[in-house]
Amino acid sequence: MIKTSEMQVVSPKSLDECLYLLNDQEKNNRLIAGGTDAVVRMKDKKWTPDIWINIKGMNELRYIRKDPSGIHVGPLTTHTDIVKSKLLQDKADVLTFAAKEVGATQMQNMGTLGGNIGNASPTGDTIPALYVLDARIELSSLYGTRTVPIEEFFIGPGKTVIQTDEIITDIIIRPQDTSEIGIFEKLGPRKAQSISIVNFAASINLDKEGHHCSSGRLAFGSVGPTIIRAKKCESMLTLDRFDKSLTHNISKVAWKEVAPISDARASSNYRRDMASALLERGLLRLMKRWENK
Amino acid sequence: MSIGEKANTHKEYSNERNQWIGKRIARIDGPEKVTGELKYMTDENYSNMVWGKVLRAEYPHAKIKNIETEKAESLPGVICVLTYKDIPGFNGFGIVTPDQPVLCEDVVRCTADAVALVAAETSEIADEAINLIHVDYEPLKVVTDAEYAMTGEAPYLHPDGNIHSHVKINNGDVDQAFKHADYIFENTYYSPRQMHAFIETEGGWGLVEEDGTLKIQCPGQYAYRDRLQISRTLGINPERIHVISSPNGGGFGGKDEITVQIYLALLALHTEGRPVKIHLTREESVQAGMKRHPFKVQVKTAANKDGVITANQVRAVADTGAFASLGPAVISLAVEHACGPYKIPNVDIEGFCVYTNNGIAGAFRGFGVNQVCVGIETHIDMIAEQINMDPIEIRKKNVYHQGEKSSVGHIVKSSVGTHETLEKAQNCELWTNQNIYKSQPSEPWKKRGVAVSTSFHAVGMGLDKPDYGAASIELLHDGRLKVAVGPEEIGTGNGTVYAQVCAELLHCDMADISVVQGDTSETLDSGTISASRSTYTGSRAIATTAPLMIELLTGTASEMLNIPAKDIDVEDCNVIHKKDHSILLSFTELYDYLSINKTSTKVNSQFYLPKEKEAIKGSGGAPHHIYGYQTNVVMVEVDTLTGETDVLRVVSIPDCGRVMNLQGLEGQTEGGAIMGIGYTLYEDVIIEEGYHKTSNLGDYIIPTIRETPEIETIPVEAPEPSNPFGAKGIGEVVMIPIIPAIMSAIYDATGARVKHLPATPERIFNAMKSTTSSVPMSSR
Repeated sequence: MIKTSEMQVVSPKSLDECLYLLNDQEKNNRLIAGGTDAVVRMKDKKWTPDIWINIKGMNELRYIRKDPSGIHVGPLTTHTDIVKSKLLQDKADVLTFAAKEVGATQMQNMGTLGGNIGNASPTGDTIPALYVLDARIELSSLYGTRTVPIEEFFIGPGKTVIQTDEIITDIIIRPQDTSEIGIFEKLGPRKAQSISIVNFAASINLDKEGHHCSSGRLAFGSVGPTIIRAKKCESMLTLDRFDKSLTHNISKVAWKEVAPISDARASSNYRRDMASALLERGLLRLMKRWENK
Repeated sequence: MSIGEKANTHKEYSNERNQWIGKRIARIDGPEKVTGELKYMTDENYSNMVWGKVLRAEYPHAKIKNIETEKAESLPGVICVLTYKDIPGFNGFGIVTPDQPVLCEDVVRCTADAVALVAAETSEIADEAINLIHVDYEPLKVVTDAEYAMTGEAPYLHPDGNIHSHVKINNGDVDQAFKHADYIFENTYYSPRQMHAFIETEGGWGLVEEDGTLKIQCPGQYAYRDRLQISRTLGINPERIHVISSPNGGGFGGKDEITVQIYLALLALHTEGRPVKIHLTREESVQAGMKRHPFKVQVKTAANKDGVITANQVRAVADTGAFASLGPAVISLAVEHACGPYKIPNVDIEGFCVYTNNGIAGAFRGFGVNQVCVGIETHIDMIAEQINMDPIEIRKKNVYHQGEKSSVGHIVKSSVGTHETLEKAQNCELWTNQNIYKSQPSEPWKKRGVAVSTSFHAVGMGLDKPDYGAASIELLHDGRLKVAVGPEEIGTGNGTVYAQVCAELLHCDMADISVVQGDTSETLDSGTISASRSTYTGSRAIATTAPLMIELLTGTASEMLNIPAKDIDVEDCNVIHKKDHSILLSFTELYDYLSINKTSTKVNSQFYLPKEKEAIKGSGGAPHHIYGYQTNVVMVEVDTLTGETDVLRVVSIPDCGRVMNLQGLEGQTEGGAIMGIGYTLYEDVIIEEGYHKTSNLGDYIIPTIRETPEIETIPVEAPEPSNPFGAKGIGEVVMIPIIPAIMSAIYDATGARVKHLPATPERIFNAMKSTTSSVPMSSR
């Protein structure tokens, strides 16, 4: 295994240069952006590339903008950028809430959206939010570009469809309707700097009074190998008047949609219960926000 | 007159006229710590340094068949590889019983065990060399549970068996009391393996100096005892070893025992005069460092309808891990405190300190009392609820006052402020308005609870250990004064108290005092920084020494000026005439005169701490003479959907005797509250089959600022007659009653009792689920 002191770091100045470096399959290389995951893996000797391709300074991949095809978020956009973006607060509130729950302020300042996606942790806080915003991930290599819907992007814990010569170059999300409101719920062992035991994102279309829901998307994290869209629960959203009793009834079904494991942080039974609890709490808080809007 | 008696004749110091003592004084080391300017010893690096690393055991319990070091030795850049064969003296350490090998020879008993040491040119080469050492092990059966360890089935981890100590206190007749009691409560409580989680992990420097002195710079909690333990292993005279043990990036008891001092000393003997550094990574610190003893505590309490507690029976089993360290002292203190600051006439308490293969447990702030206070305090609340009595009233009814007999059967002669702390609790805003607060949860599915608890903690060593303090004061060439006191700066702010006392007694500005702590070449042996003793001990030691400095200064001035010494006083680093306060000479002039005449400008003195005369047989050191007391009122809010619990408010009501520094006291009450919150709700080092499942601060959850509530401090001052300023100690008791208070507040909020700490959201949720009625949502 290579010694840490012998590892090289190269910092490409442009995307083209980066793609060229990635294309050199002779070399064992790996991307590093904010380093909030990569440095930890390096310290644990889990990631030991010969060359780190440092893309942190590649500002062409750091942007938030809107066009007719959707909202485009550059992969090097930091969580702090997301939290502060007026556009996202307005048209993708659930993503700003999720970004605000990642680690602590220092991690939010360094960590990037592309890193959170590429790392593919089942506990990644921004990913359920991207699910409910129907995100598409653009991947580029020296030979071209392809776009993958987020539901097809993750294969398992830490595993994605990204090829070794590819890099995430764009994240495209659906802007929320004016009638749409989102929420992100996280249960961790403490409030700050924690890894989710269960997390939950919702984005829901409501009528003006908030009495009826016309459609909604719900996603759970940390309760399966990848994020889980709770489709049964989603279909129940429109069945009845959108109120406390409906959310309670939906929450009673939520545990059936998830497939959590037991680990040092929580038992699978508790995680199932918490899928229900976070769904109920999230929708109750969402109603409150709608009222105050 | 003996030294001890002489010191005891101090008149009580009047606090009203004080310039420094009892005031709100900023820490002398505050700015450099806040800005990060202060370098801890492990922050330093030197150009000619070498790096030391420790090879830890691969198995929690195994025979060592062979240790192969040649490959490691031949790696370029490796300076030395050491095993047990390289130990010149005694291969063992341990404060109470030296049962822990410095480097294991034939058996490893936990994954904290050290098997070999490496020194190399770089940290990376040292790591590589560690990986090249091949140890041939034969795994043995792992003892994972203390109760199991006590049975005949478990393999012996040490020649005398797995029960290292068994201590008891009996008083009255519990069987009769249980027979006649109106109510009996019986429960079992489990406590977590808390980690000190100091900001500076264990580490330091070793160096053989040109004159042959071995210098060990390593954060510690008792330089003289570290020196003794080093000298025993090296087989050299302690006088040849210079230990610098201050400042520390946090101690909390975790640096009371030897950490890496002996490894540094052994390596330094082989590095040809180059300084060697060891600094544990956080992961290694989690695995190898001391932890708090997890306890299983069975408690049975009897009470009458009128709220009088008539009997308490306690059986406490402490998992000390593979080695004793301070375990037997911890369990003795637990037994002494297991019945709370009450006067229960019939008690039957026993405690066991038991070996397992679960790492190592040792000293930690609270020293066994944290684990046992939970039983009696919870049962008192249960009794109060049963007879419909106010939880503060029932405590007031049962606490002992000064001059009364405690539960362990001794007359308490030192100051006792419990009753007053309870009165303050009863009148505090949170308690009187609790119903208003409880009716205003932040969200509809949340519930709030308010609860109170009280406890106590001994100050100083037990009966069977020597306990003394010493200080020296030196006049410096620039006319300033240097006060040197043994107990280290481990984060408590004791150095600020020492500067305050010295400035007060020598009538000068605190800025004219420099403080030295924890350095065997500068400070006299003054005992440990532990046992809540350093404010009491240091302040009294300085108070016994200051008159000697005044005598030296006024005597010298009298000699120089031919004025009677009785007419001379000191003020602002000058000697003055008592009558008109005119300046006669400056301290610099006195210094010059003394040094020309080759007279020492340094004075020193010592005293013995007061002790009880009669020991409680079989208790292992009870009773103590002095105790600090503390009551906490807390408010929590529980999310009934998830079990997440916030401590929203804490009222901390300490009786530490006279307050020496209000700001320092608040530092202690606030830090203690946060550490108590961590103990109760979050912290636990998980060990399974002898292996640590917890590896770093990512999975060891300590409270952050977002878990830190509003903390209010209301001091009660019951002056301790044996200290010249009336001071006692506060470092430990500030984190104790908050533990049962939070547990009871959770019950007050939800009706659920968690008896296994930490009370994680999952445990609280499950406890709520089993009480059913309190959970609005039960999903399945």
